Amino acid sequence: MIKTLVGGAIGLVAGLWSAESVLRMTSGLDATTIGAWTASVDAGTPDADPYTRAAIERNGEIPLALGEGLQLIARVDDSGAALDPRCVYRVGNKAPAARYWTLGVVDRRGFPIANPAERSIFRSSELLRDENGGFVITVSASARPGNWLPVGAPQGFYLVLRLYDTPFSATATAIDKNALPRVVRESCR
Amino acid sequence: MRSPAGPARLLFDFATIALGAAMTAGLVHIVAILIVPLYASNDAFARLSSLGPVNRTIALAQTGPNSRLIPFGDPAVAGAFCRYDLRDGPLRVRAPAARYEYSSLSFHTNHGGIFYALTDRAAAQGEFNALVVTDDQLRAITARESEDEPSQELRIVSPTNEGFVMMRSFSEAPSLFMEAQARVGALKCQSEAPQS
Repeated sequence: MIKTLVGGAIGLVAGLWSAESVLRMTSGLDATTIGAWTASVDAGTPDADPYTRAAIERNGEIPLALGEGLQLIARVDDSGAALDPRCVYRVGNKAPAARYWTLGVVDRRGFPIANPAERSIFRSSELLRDENGGFVITVSASARPGNWLPVGAPQGFYLVLRLYDTPFSATATAIDKNALPRVVRESCR
Repeated sequence: MRSPAGPARLLFDFATIALGAAMTAGLVHIVAILIVPLYASNDAFARLSSLGPVNRTIALAQTGPNSRLIPFGDPAVAGAFCRYDLRDGPLRVRAPAARYEYSSLSFHTNHGGIFYALTDRAAAQGEFNALVVTDDQLRAITARESEDEPSQELRIVSPTNEGFVMMRSFSEAPSLFMEAQARVGALKCQSEAPQS
């Protein structure tokens, strides 16, 4: 009897804890990972897996629908190391075909991070580009020349790439790794 | 002196508890994940419901460090929504589509599912115009129509009575955000009398 209670109690705690932590960290069962980026293509459809659905319900997100666009999140750099606010990252120099896209920095809850430069995204329509149409966005805490995306407070952050009106929205798996911006760590304090 | 069964017995007890705990944990985990969408009291629909009544177009504040209602919003994209309840009758949704700029409509249930979406490129004559209906309402409408002249209007069947329509529009530069906000502010949602 006591055995059952002890086992049940441990199980209850472990089950709730694992569910909670999965929902906090999840990129979904059906998430597609391409290089540093992950996308959950089914996020906004009735076919979304239970983990993706539960995570979206819980954080209150209004995902982009298939016909609207596609959101990709980078929690790590190209080498697989978590993004670190003490480091400088070069992000570029291509983005997949889309009518518009934006690349931004968010905190781990998905909100822009306050910074003195008051910049949390770059739009495809406002970037400085090289003569071949490529671009480099520098993500770092201290100011950089060119396209500088400040990290703001020294806390964990993610990069978010949103593609609007893109032929890839239903088929993220069809995006070639080389078509996505690379996330390369340059140096760290 | 203890019987040789002692340590074995202890090991057996431990194994049963561990097995029981593991099975309970698995069950609790699965149940928790599955019921979150049914009971999430702070999902997007609940958050939007706190902002105003059904059928009213409500603009969302631009996402920012101090504007933290809906996560993973794009600061380049203006958004407005209206909630609906089809028990009041079918919902007529209209909005002007921008001439050049990206704008889109998406249709969401009150449980986080998206059942339809279109962008300005699919809008006819520079305007979004759709009727959101339930299955029953759609049957009633089509029953009254003549088969020779099927209606061309866009009818979207909502799997739930309640939900919301989201309009988004892209601003090409920070200074153009106000214009995007004006575009999404022109979204109109109106219940049509349930015709009998």
